Amino acid sequence: MRMLLVPMALASLAPSSAFAVDYLSAEQARRLMFPEADSFEPRAITLDAGQLQALSASGVPARSAHWTLQVARHAGTALGYVVIDAVIGKFELITYAVGLDLDGGVRQLEVLSYRESHGHEVRLPAWRRQFVGKNAASPLRVGDDIANISGATLSCQHVTDGVRRIVAVVDLARRSGALG
Amino acid sequence: MPRSASSRTHHFAQLAAPRGALLLCVSVLLVCLLSACGGGSGDDAQSNSAAPLSSSAALGEKIFQDTTLSASGQQSCSTCHNPANAHAPSNSLAVQLGGALMNLQGTRQTPSIRYLNFNTSFHFDDEGTPTGGFFWDGRAESLAQQAGAPFVNPFEMANADQAAVVAKLSQAPYAAEFKQLYGDAIFADVDATVQRMGLAVQQYQREDREFHSFTSKYDSFLLGKARLSDQEMRGLALFNSPTKGNCAGCHPSARAADGAMPLFTDFTYDNLGVPRNPEIGANADPAYFDLGLCARPDGSMAAHPELCGAFKVPSLRNVALRKVFFHNGRFKTLKDTLTFYVQRDTHPEKWYPLNPDSSVNKFDDLPAQYHGNVNTTEVPYNRQPGDALALSDSEIDDVIAFLQTLSDGYVP
Amino acid sequence: MKRPALSLAAALAVSQFVPALAHAQSTPTLEELARKVDQLSAELAAVKAQLQQQKTAAATPLPAGSAPAAATAAAPAPAPASSEPATVLTSYGEINYNRPKHSADAQADVRRFVLGYQHRFDDKTQVVTELEVEHGVASASDSGEVEVEQAYIEHQLAPSHALRAGLFLMPVGLLNENHEPTAFYGVERNFVETAIIPTTWREGGLQYVGNFDNGLTAQAGLTTSFDLTKWDAASTEGAESPLASVHQEMSLAKGHDIAVFGAANWRGIPGLLLGGSLFTGNATQGQPGFASARITLWDLHARWTPQRWDLSALYAQGRSSNTAALNAPPVGNPTLIPERFDGWYVQSAYTLWTDGDRALSPFARLERFNTGRRYADLGPGLTPDALPTERVVTVGVNYKLNANVVIKADLQRFKLVGDNNRFDLGLGWSF
Repeated sequence: MRMLLVPMALASLAPSSAFAVDYLSAEQARRLMFPEADSFEPRAITLDAGQLQALSASGVPARSAHWTLQVARHAGTALGYVVIDAVIGKFELITYAVGLDLDGGVRQLEVLSYRESHGHEVRLPAWRRQFVGKNAASPLRVGDDIANISGATLSCQHVTDGVRRIVAVVDLARRSGALG
Repeated sequence: MPRSASSRTHHFAQLAAPRGALLLCVSVLLVCLLSACGGGSGDDAQSNSAAPLSSSAALGEKIFQDTTLSASGQQSCSTCHNPANAHAPSNSLAVQLGGALMNLQGTRQTPSIRYLNFNTSFHFDDEGTPTGGFFWDGRAESLAQQAGAPFVNPFEMANADQAAVVAKLSQAPYAAEFKQLYGDAIFADVDATVQRMGLAVQQYQREDREFHSFTSKYDSFLLGKARLSDQEMRGLALFNSPTKGNCAGCHPSARAADGAMPLFTDFTYDNLGVPRNPEIGANADPAYFDLGLCARPDGSMAAHPELCGAFKVPSLRNVALRKVFFHNGRFKTLKDTLTFYVQRDTHPEKWYPLNPDSSVNKFDDLPAQYHGNVNTTEVPYNRQPGDALALSDSEIDDVIAFLQTLSDGYVP
Repeated sequence: MKRPALSLAAALAVSQFVPALAHAQSTPTLEELARKVDQLSAELAAVKAQLQQQKTAAATPLPAGSAPAAATAAAPAPAPASSEPATVLTSYGEINYNRPKHSADAQADVRRFVLGYQHRFDDKTQVVTELEVEHGVASASDSGEVEVEQAYIEHQLAPSHALRAGLFLMPVGLLNENHEPTAFYGVERNFVETAIIPTTWREGGLQYVGNFDNGLTAQAGLTTSFDLTKWDAASTEGAESPLASVHQEMSLAKGHDIAVFGAANWRGIPGLLLGGSLFTGNATQGQPGFASARITLWDLHARWTPQRWDLSALYAQGRSSNTAALNAPPVGNPTLIPERFDGWYVQSAYTLWTDGDRALSPFARLERFNTGRRYADLGPGLTPDALPTERVVTVGVNYKLNANVVIKADLQRFKLVGDNNRFDLGLGWSF
């Protein structure tokens, strides 16, 4: 019942026509990331003041204390996590999904919607592939371990910042046991 | 069947409408854009079809040619401004003769009156440069005002006063036409008649293509219809070059930004320090100086001593048809004139008389206090004795060859 | 920008929290329990109130009212598109100080002040505009200019294909479309992309933009062209930048000639850009007496940003046909229309130090360009000599205060005109 409800809810969540260019729905994205999963359990994380401070100190302001992710499971065993987020490129919203392994490393990055006039190349597999294997110890910075896309610097930076934030938050949550 | 077909087409139309409409708009736009490419080449700016003159211009033409309006009965505007010679004198007198007995000498050379419809009234432009105005000193504000002046000039048509002019006009064969246009009672009002005479002559000069025909070989060359000879091209290059002749500095040779053909004058003034001309009787009096722009009879420019000695830059169109050059008719050939430009400062002894102590009495046609007004900064008259000449003798000949292409009436 | 919203997940967190807390403590007294329950119910009420607020205020995509189990909403505040402003104000500015060899020629200038807006009409259509003020004060007696730099409508045909119509920037070189001060190294824009490619070059017309999945961005279209009849042979403008002296900027532009252009840029490998462009169009606009002449401009460029390096190279060439006929009337004047003009540059920058958004990037650039590489033959003694090729070396540093503000300093050395050697300082922003 729950499993059925979730896809439907997701369908209602699917980016509406207010988004100009929707390449993937959230449902499609997580299927791509965890094809073997048979369920995605939503999990809420709340970071406490100490964790928020630690994040800021490490240069990754958390933006909010409350996060939601989905735990991908197969036959009850956790496979990894999916976080869906959105950042502003230069002016427009970029919605993306990050898939993480149980150890907190990035498994995959998918761009769900992109409306900027420039920088469509963030969608290309080649650019997204750079994130695979990154974890909380990686710099995850444009001009360092992530290559820029000429003419779309802000989009690249903001998406990279977003991934870095997600990786840090999930890492904190994982280490504090909130993800069990 | 029809129902499903229509619903199908309706469905198709629904889907296709936004995209189809866009494609339609784009293709219409493209067609419009591309058809604009194939547009006409544009008409020649100056067509040579002769439109009939308006009634005031026709009267102006008659007045222009009417010798009876002069005291002598022998002089009309066209006597000195001969249409057959670019509306300039056909003789080589430095100054023309006029007066009741046609024996009085004026003081200034008679210029061509072609291409003056592009001139403006006198003013100082944004940079303070005196510009515009009619006559050598710009004292007339318009063609109309200028046209009226010779009638009462004692050295020209020598009428006693305006009333005398009007009296003569009222006896002219075309007086009836004049009344028809301006009203039966017109001759009773002397000032009004004189004003309308001026306006009629002005209108004639504006409408008659002969005054601005742009039919020189150079015009054809600019329009791509003729080629200049090698020598003429060399002459044009020297004319334009700011380091050689620099003639284009005051006599522009380039088409204007809006495509208008060049007039070879910018209607400003320059002081060249032209040597005094003994041919002018008035110059026998050593105290007499023609000071040009600052010495207007009405005193309006008396506050500008720096402009003493400056005279209007004339158009060089039809210059090759002229017999005398500069405001005092000092030179009679283009060769002498151009050589003066080039060698005024390198060989002043060629042009000016010597003082008793063998020094050169340079700028002898100007009182000493105004010698500083003479232009000594612009090429080519920015030299010192011993400096290299801006133009060699053969280069001067090249420039003259080019100047000969500026005469109207060229037939390709 | 983003309001940290308290999502329904918070309610879950609270509800999960309670049993955990109750479990952790050993033997709470009834009073303590009662107090705790009061506290919790107060917090719960507050959370519910906030949620209610959000429900009424938020737009549709948020499933705020749906079942808690389906709280798979995206992480905090992916503010729904319709609450993003439809109208965005954009701006960039450059304030420069140049100090050449003769310090009497030192100059401080509000080089550019640009205000623009983008407005989204619907999910497929937006308008992009930019208005520029150059040199601070524009009036009849001041040196400044006010101009519309861009004004076009962009309409999306398909997710990766769009059409633009109006006045837009030409997709040429590395700088023309991305010319904000934060986008280039050095206080002044490089000479090749000002003298040869007349940045900021814009034309009016129609442009197709396509982004392909292999990393290729293709642009092509039809636009207005240059006006060679404006060439002023008596001034030095044409020698400084041939095309900048004859561009029309869609200001009462003569529209007889339609030009065609195309550009291809490939970014298939992250950090690498390879691209080129071609523009060609007649430029005498059917004016009587002017022989038909065509202006063509093409360029090839590359940019590679491995790790902290930023390396770029560009070559651009312009050609004008039939210049012999056009140069005949102004023969002898100092600046005739060149038959060919071109230039190239190589540049390398390295991000020496970063700290969050701040970055210090020294750079060096070598450029060679010639605005009069070749002139058509006009006859012996009349054909202008080719102009000498200028070489400029620029060494300097960009300091980014953050992603949008940059402070720059550089030294420039000119091979031909040593008097132009100068030290420059610049402040720029862009958002």
